[in-house]
Amino acid sequence: MLIQVVGCSHHCTPLEALERLTFSPAETREALDRWRRVFPGVEAVLLSTCNRIEVYAAAEQGDLPDVRQIAAFLARFRGQEATADCERFYCRQNEEAVGHLFAVAASLNSMVLGEPQILAQVKRAYQTAAEHNATGPLLHALFQAAIHTARRVATETTIHQRRVSVASVAVADFARGLFERFDDKHALVIGAGKMAEETLRYLYEEGVRSLSVINRHLERAVELAARWGGQAIAWKELPNALADADLIVSTTGAGKAVVECRHFATIDAQRHRPLLILDLAVPRDFEPAIGELPDVYLYSLEDLQEVCRRNRKERDKELPAAYRIVEQETARFMTELFHRSVWPTIERLRNGWQKIKEDELERLLNKLPQLDEHDREEVRYAFDRLVNKLLHPPLESLREESRKGVPRSLLEALARLFQLKD
Amino acid sequence: MLVGVCIGCAVVGYVLGLVLEATRPLCTRPTHGWLKAAVIFGLVFHAAALYFRALSEPSAPLSSERDWYLAASWAAGVVCAYLIFLRPQTPFGLFLLPLVLALLGAAGMLADTRPLPEPASRAWGMIHGLALLLAAVCVLIGFVAGWMYLMQARRLKHKRTTAAGFRLPSLEWLQQINHRALLISPLLLGVGILSGLVLDRLGDANVSRLSSSDPLIAATWVMFAWLAAAAVISIFYRPARQGRKVAYLTLAGFVFLVVMLAAGLALESRHWGGRKREHRVPNAAAWKTETARSSPSMQNLLPGGRRC
Repeated sequence: MLIQVVGCSHHCTPLEALERLTFSPAETREALDRWRRVFPGVEAVLLSTCNRIEVYAAAEQGDLPDVRQIAAFLARFRGQEATADCERFYCRQNEEAVGHLFAVAASLNSMVLGEPQILAQVKRAYQTAAEHNATGPLLHALFQAAIHTARRVATETTIHQRRVSVASVAVADFARGLFERFDDKHALVIGAGKMAEETLRYLYEEGVRSLSVINRHLERAVELAARWGGQAIAWKELPNALADADLIVSTTGAGKAVVECRHFATIDAQRHRPLLILDLAVPRDFEPAIGELPDVYLYSLEDLQEVCRRNRKERDKELPAAYRIVEQETARFMTELFHRSVWPTIERLRNGWQKIKEDELERLLNKLPQLDEHDREEVRYAFDRLVNKLLHPPLESLREESRKGVPRSLLEALARLFQLKD
Repeated sequence: MLVGVCIGCAVVGYVLGLVLEATRPLCTRPTHGWLKAAVIFGLVFHAAALYFRALSEPSAPLSSERDWYLAASWAAGVVCAYLIFLRPQTPFGLFLLPLVLALLGAAGMLADTRPLPEPASRAWGMIHGLALLLAAVCVLIGFVAGWMYLMQARRLKHKRTTAAGFRLPSLEWLQQINHRALLISPLLLGVGILSGLVLDRLGDANVSRLSSSDPLIAATWVMFAWLAAAAVISIFYRPARQGRKVAYLTLAGFVFLVVMLAAGLALESRHWGGRKREHRVPNAAAWKTETARSSPSMQNLLPGGRRC
């Protein structure tokens, strides 16, 4: 009985190489179909995210494909250019593989520690494999345990509660503190930088649908506005756009502040409602004094990065507790797995002795026809007790030994002593 | 006796809830379930206390100043429980449970006051008591929302993240609650005052009318004037219903409420039975004898002058 993970992640592989290897959902399904043909009888789950590509494989009996075979399988699927990338693959087996999956699912192995998406990705990978009959009892048990572990880490530690990316901190920690709902808010994006787009993605997820983009080069504003269903505005309209906005994301590449306090104060005096400004530009687009105005909440990139740093520190404090949970769950899973490995032997031993008991009981009862039903029951009960008592010590020894691992020598000895056959 | 036991149990539930709320940031596991259980435990016993009061006093739960405080604290407790269930992540209990306990404490201080005389009209009496009770609860909600608003605004201004388990509602939500409290509380208080005037008119012609110079009546009028002015300002002057201004208005409303309640508790007022001070008996034995003579429903008294 073997469980193994073969794969590569952001820890040991450059992101460009990972991008070459990444599987789309359709490719994952196709790869799993092909896996079943190439490695029949081997359970598999293919986990493919932006930061990792891993194949979890397990087999009740027989050997598992080794790293080279799996790397070759993936390389054939992705094309020859991926062959070199496959050399970076790592391989972990049994307890290490189980602990690895549990840590991955709990987001302890992610690029952004504690990011919540990975659990959904693990679930999706498992679900896809299950739908394509690529999983079996071992991987079913393993992935269920992984999901359970991730939930324990999420509920028993605060590792997921602290956000560590600028955009997520800006939206989840500050924008949500200001606004109850976003679908009736108007967002203004000043500049068309990458950071603006990332923040917009979070805002869009929160429900922002009314959006204006303003940029010195109108064509770039039009481009960004088209992607997010907003409207582009000419640069000269900036004062009006500031007055209309409920939240502003600013990421221009201007060399000095685009909005000065004295100008903004006159606009703000007519607004009479809170305003959130995410100034993600370096140098700042909004003069810091604007943040002093009542009902204006101004956050610079520096402020948000400082929060991210603090949150990262807080998350790191939670790591030992999270790893303790992973260790506990790994140990529990392995014990169950080892118990599973001795179960067929126990069954064979029990069935063999039951057969002897039934034969002897039948012979005895045939010889004693004068016994009434009550006496017959007593005899049957005595035979059952005898068999159970005789079986108890070897079974207990097996169970005890299986806590540390698969007791191969003991299993072999039992098989030879009692002539147990498959 | 039963009322006392029930109130004791209610206090235990609320205090437990408050402790759970206060220690929330320190707990690694969520304590929402325990918190809800503690507050519901308190509310159930609190309701039982009101029920037993209603059994012993025909016009309870608004038959005396003490009953009014008991009922008001229960209503505040219900609001607290509702909010805890609505938003388990927000520590509403930390803000509302102290107020519930303070009202219960005030009820405890008034344990030896006599019941109000039977009103001229039972219906108007109930409208009067309930409207004032709901107005007070409304002001309390506005106060809590205003307090939370200022805390949240301060956190956001200082760019601080929330502690785990201490997530305050958004400013937008708090502002809405504030604004609603600001509009509803003068309406309820107005109904309470109006029904009080009607009651006064319907009363015994031989008994002198309540004067507006009575400290409790005067404080109520002042509070009403303030709440009505604040509501009018917030309706007609847009900046006053946005941002911190609305929070400050509701906080000021709470100050007026405290003044009004303190006037009722500390000063000589004819409102609560008209003769509260004069009829407070100097010792328990005399109090027992007198109440036993005056009203059969007053016979269920605890030793030491405390009613059960």
